[in-house]
Amino acid sequence: MIYLGLPDSEKEDIVNHYVDEHAIKKVVLIHGKSAPYLLSADRVTYKQVILYVYFYRLLQEIDQNTLIVVDECLRTQNRYDLTYNCIRHYINRTSHIIVFQLLPQIDECNDFMILFDFVTQSQWKRHKFDAGLIADHAKIERIDFNFSFTPIYIMTPDSTKQKYERKKKQLFDNLGVRDPHTIPRNLYLVGSGDKRAYIDTRSLPLFDNGKLYVARNRRLNRDNVATYGDVLPDRDYTIMEFPYRFIDFSDFVYTTRQTNYDVLLADLKVDRWYLQRYEEWKDRLDETYASL
Amino acid sequence: MKPTQVYDRTKNVLEAALERIHFIFDNFESIHVSISGGKDSEVLAHLTLMEAQRRGRRIGIFFLDEEVVYQSTIEMVEYIIEEMAPDNVIPLWLQMEFNLTNATSLTETQFIPWEAGKHDIWLRPKKTYSIKFPMWDVETQTVADKNKGFGFYDVFRNFERCYHNTAFLVGLRGTESPNRWRTVSKNPVDINGQSVYWGTRNGDNVSLYPLYDWNFHDIWKYIFSNGLPYHRIYDYQFRKGYPINEMRISSLIHEKSFKSLVDLPEFEPRTYARLLRRAKGIALAQETGKKAKLFRTRKLPKNFNSWRTYRDFLIETHPDPAKCAIMTRRFTKHLDNEYVARQQVRQLILNDYENNLPVDNRPDPRENWIKYYMENL
Repeated sequence: MIYLGLPDSEKEDIVNHYVDEHAIKKVVLIHGKSAPYLLSADRVTYKQVILYVYFYRLLQEIDQNTLIVVDECLRTQNRYDLTYNCIRHYINRTSHIIVFQLLPQIDECNDFMILFDFVTQSQWKRHKFDAGLIADHAKIERIDFNFSFTPIYIMTPDSTKQKYERKKKQLFDNLGVRDPHTIPRNLYLVGSGDKRAYIDTRSLPLFDNGKLYVARNRRLNRDNVATYGDVLPDRDYTIMEFPYRFIDFSDFVYTTRQTNYDVLLADLKVDRWYLQRYEEWKDRLDETYASL
Repeated sequence: MKPTQVYDRTKNVLEAALERIHFIFDNFESIHVSISGGKDSEVLAHLTLMEAQRRGRRIGIFFLDEEVVYQSTIEMVEYIIEEMAPDNVIPLWLQMEFNLTNATSLTETQFIPWEAGKHDIWLRPKKTYSIKFPMWDVETQTVADKNKGFGFYDVFRNFERCYHNTAFLVGLRGTESPNRWRTVSKNPVDINGQSVYWGTRNGDNVSLYPLYDWNFHDIWKYIFSNGLPYHRIYDYQFRKGYPINEMRISSLIHEKSFKSLVDLPEFEPRTYARLLRRAKGIALAQETGKKAKLFRTRKLPKNFNSWRTYRDFLIETHPDPAKCAIMTRRFTKHLDNEYVARQQVRQLILNDYENNLPVDNRPDPRENWIKYYMENL
């Protein structure tokens, strides 16, 4: 069974109900993020899955009376990743498996097939995303997680635009052997001075409404600007910068459960590119929800 | 058209392997098992020797001793040959000179195991019952690569030429890599009218892989169920948290295994101390075997602004012009881009003139991205 979009508070009830119904003797919880429930279960983090100290023990201990709960383990798009393969080995030893996940994909619909593999003992591992196949062979209960982006436009002076062009030329000229994906990441920093000015103005007592912002790192050194790694649960953040990797944003969504994201948008090409990239990502997510 | 293989899912891998071994004993008078001291060949040797014992037959246990191996490997080979079923074993422990690629040194590019005149620094003395000289006519022996000289695989080929209608059993498993799977199953061999999908023809002989469909935990289950001792290094690697695909036992210095040198002082300090005296480049490989800027060649050293300039520098300063010429000749057929150049650097650093780590010769995947960002940012 795959549960999409469930809050932690409901997960424990579902597991307990399943345990009672199927006379389960042992519960193994494999969790990709902190899971503040099922504290008495045999808990294995996503990173520990591949370690031999866990692997062999679990292969010996998991049997037909064991329930495996896989919580937020969609961490990489490679369906043949070593960690997924190890989880498969565990799953092949029991028919009791529950999968919890907030968003059904990292980037594209094929990612969902990793979750599908978990609940079907990987019988269709070579198949791409196929709504018919999924409907025939997997039970899914879901609460769709819908959210939107609202841009807050920030005008930049000519000096910033000139700086942007200079930086762009410099990055392409000196790229050398570096990863080309560093280019948008570096260009994205050009508008941060103007965004900082906006944040500072909005943080003055006149405006201060306790608004929090999230940026890629701590370079602004402001108390009300957090990084993606240290955002707090159930708080609303305004996005100063998007992370480059969708998985980092998924983690942010998982923690905050925010449904509307204000995004600081400097009038630079790279800012528009980032926003468009995330809007396209959200469209892909909606398409997956629609076809499931 | 080749018949299609239908994989029998009604048997477990142990039952299937036993069936294959029965088939081999029914169809071949002469059977040899190649062992390395690792877990797979140990299981294969055990399965085969148990059947040999049941039938009162003797089989050859073949081990090509590269000298630069773990002491625990030697202990395992001794166990298999001397203790597992000694009455049913024809020991074929080869300890002779041949050329082994030394990926750790650019000045001593070929390591010669059991080199004459260096017996005082050999890692250990030769076994009394080992085969110390070629069993074949040296005048007519085949050498695949004249540049390299008589190498590791040449020993196998010439050794196998000494036999006719013999089954050479190898503990190769398809799950280890797609290449291995392809090796095993690509060309089925006809044995007395039966098409065998787990073997290949090899001149007058056949190479057979009865464990080709075993997974690594099948191997460990068999070792556990039969109470077999196993290579100590696995335990050390286990404790150190090695990932599954890196837990391997082989020679310590060739281009695919030198990484094991990094942990050797910790696992087998005495072997490491002896190896330092025996071969060149060991200390450097031990320190930097997993470093991104040296043996792994993942990061460009800061003195260079591109992989191409780094490659050209290595070619210019290579201490062995003959080997370098082989590689530069090969490089002329490659595309000229950074993606390819990085792999060429890896070959130069590991002295891989034999092309054991082939270059993926294709356009640099970065170029499309650069074009895209140029247009959209």
